[in-house]
Amino acid sequence: MTEMQQGDQSAILRLKAVSAGYGRRTILNDLSLEVSRGEIFALLGGNGAGKSTTLRVLLGFLKPSAGEVTLAGQDVVADPAAARAHVAYVAENVALYEHLSARENLAYLLTLAGVTAEASRIEGALEAVGLGVAARGQRLSGYSKGMRQKTAIALAVAREVPVLLLDEPTSGLDPRAISEFHDLLDVLRARGTAILMVTHDLLGATQVADRIGFLSEGRLTQVADKSEDRSFDINRLYQAYQTAQPGQVA
Amino acid sequence: MSRVLTIALNEGRALLRNRTAVISAALFLLLSLMAILNAWDQFRYAQGLRQTYQSEANQTFDAQPDRHPHRMVHYGHFVFRPLNPMAAFDPGVDAFTGQMLYLEGHRQNSANFSDTRQNTSLVRFGQLTPAFCLQVLAPLLLIFLGFGVIARERENGTLVLCLTQGVTGPQMFWGKALCLAVVAGLILLPALVSLGWLATQAMLGWGLTLAILTGYVLYLLIWTMGIVLVSRFARRGREALLGLIALWAFFCVFVPRIAPDLIAHARPLLTQMETDIRIHKELKAMGDSHNPDDPYFNAFRQKVLKSYGVSRVEDLPVNYKGLLALEGERMTSALFKAYADRNFGQQHAQTRLMDGVGLLAPVLAVQRVSMSGAGTDLSAYQAFLEQGEAYRFGLVQHLNQLQATALTYADDTNKARENRISHDHWTNYPDFVFRPPAMAERLERLSPALGVLALWCGVLLGLGQWSALRLERLMK
Repeated sequence: MTEMQQGDQSAILRLKAVSAGYGRRTILNDLSLEVSRGEIFALLGGNGAGKSTTLRVLLGFLKPSAGEVTLAGQDVVADPAAARAHVAYVAENVALYEHLSARENLAYLLTLAGVTAEASRIEGALEAVGLGVAARGQRLSGYSKGMRQKTAIALAVAREVPVLLLDEPTSGLDPRAISEFHDLLDVLRARGTAILMVTHDLLGATQVADRIGFLSEGRLTQVADKSEDRSFDINRLYQAYQTAQPGQVA
Repeated sequence: MSRVLTIALNEGRALLRNRTAVISAALFLLLSLMAILNAWDQFRYAQGLRQTYQSEANQTFDAQPDRHPHRMVHYGHFVFRPLNPMAAFDPGVDAFTGQMLYLEGHRQNSANFSDTRQNTSLVRFGQLTPAFCLQVLAPLLLIFLGFGVIARERENGTLVLCLTQGVTGPQMFWGKALCLAVVAGLILLPALVSLGWLATQAMLGWGLTLAILTGYVLYLLIWTMGIVLVSRFARRGREALLGLIALWAFFCVFVPRIAPDLIAHARPLLTQMETDIRIHKELKAMGDSHNPDDPYFNAFRQKVLKSYGVSRVEDLPVNYKGLLALEGERMTSALFKAYADRNFGQQHAQTRLMDGVGLLAPVLAVQRVSMSGAGTDLSAYQAFLEQGEAYRFGLVQHLNQLQATALTYADDTNKARENRISHDHWTNYPDFVFRPPAMAERLERLSPALGVLALWCGVLLGLGQWSALRLERLMK
């Protein structure tokens, strides 16, 4: 387990010495983090550790007070809209349009993203995420969370973005849906997508992530790397997770 | 396709797939249609009635046999204001002011001092007309259809989804505004068709039709922008809905109801009873032409005798009683006119104040544009009263002049004689023809209100762009 992630030339998502907060309250404190193509990075931490703030900074919605943020080489601070062209974001509640079907959601959002919403592209993406053909034409108001999540991931697939940000993706999913979701992430990883996953689910992270980072008080305190710790030592990770909780001493 | 258009189309699709929205819009359109048909039916009925009664009144007046001219002065005559087809679109104050005048010597029609005009805005609230549908109900429908355009996106998390697709704040804001503006246009459509048709019937002229149309377009644009703005600042759709309903109640119900009361309080009019009492007192003080010792009429007699170079009224080449009638009518008419002018002056002061309040409530400004453009406002009614009074004065003085010239004083004071003159004198007298205020005058009257609406629009559009540029801050 390393204390801090080292600089990686292939990193497509990069936070370098980033500090950010709201007003006088600092949430991220000199945070550095990198995710490479084809890598899944799970970011864990207690409430208020700065996980959601990290995503806001990466999406360009919150301007950091210090540091550098780049997505696919694009400076997020300088041109957030341009940087967002390289990223897909799936929120915890999987926000999509209820009055539209999965196909229509994709067509609409692809058009907004400036991507040609061809039927073949949409069907291919929905096929890749395993959304049943019969469900594709139904309005989302009748979808389960798992189906919504597949639709949201299909959008990322269809957009062919190199970076995917996930906010608590397995929250509210049943074990089978979680397993399907992990399979989906494997597919994306194989496609070379860099995935940053903010989660509370340590067990799920050990199953799918290549690296697991622990965030505490806006700092990345520890990073566990699957290549070093082949199957992740769950006990050590749990201890690290516990020490990353607010009020705990590392 | 631009992102703005894509967002607008998706919002439109969401509305079309929302059963409640479709039903509300259909009900509104049905209501508008009913209002138009009902207003037109009432117009035709009232127009037919007026034409019949005016024709009867003219025939009865013309059919009077040979009479003493002073008897004709007191016989009186009815004149009706021809109904303006535009009243079917916006009846304005027409329904409450009355459209008929009774013309008689020595008195001005009491309509000039009527109380109803003080409370017209209050009474008008609630009439189902195309104008009412557009002024009061259309904003409410727009609120129900549009309160969530941005607030719901924010609440559901789709706002951040769109922004992460590269959509900018202004694109999102103006896409939503465009959709709602198109909905407002559709809401406007049936009323616009009726407006165009009625304007053709009324020979209103394109200038006024365009001014009314512009007024309503600006008014609904104000609501469109207001709704999108409130939705932009609200955290949740429910908050936006409650806020907008409160704004609607304030602007469309509270202000139009309370403003006339406050203005009537600030610029009070004499009640009809007060006016009648004052006029009666002043008439008594003015003098009595039948009293040989009355100082004013004694002086008048001396002046007449001197001007003709005679010493007795019997020696005058004209009938002195006719001259007395002419002078008496001149004096009483001048008194009535003074009161009417004072009353109208006060009413115009009230109207100016109301225009000022229009700065705070666009519904008052659009009412002004609509009524002035349609020719159903107070000024148009005043023109009818003034023309009616001018006609009355002309007719009465014509008859008094006949008394002075067609009858001798000796005959006129001889009670044994009938002293009739030919009925040709009044049969050939021209009928009353009302001339509505000219287009330029009406355009001038409605221009300030149109300016107020344009100002509101400009401010809201500017505020919209300012807030749209800061839309991403909601994601912090």
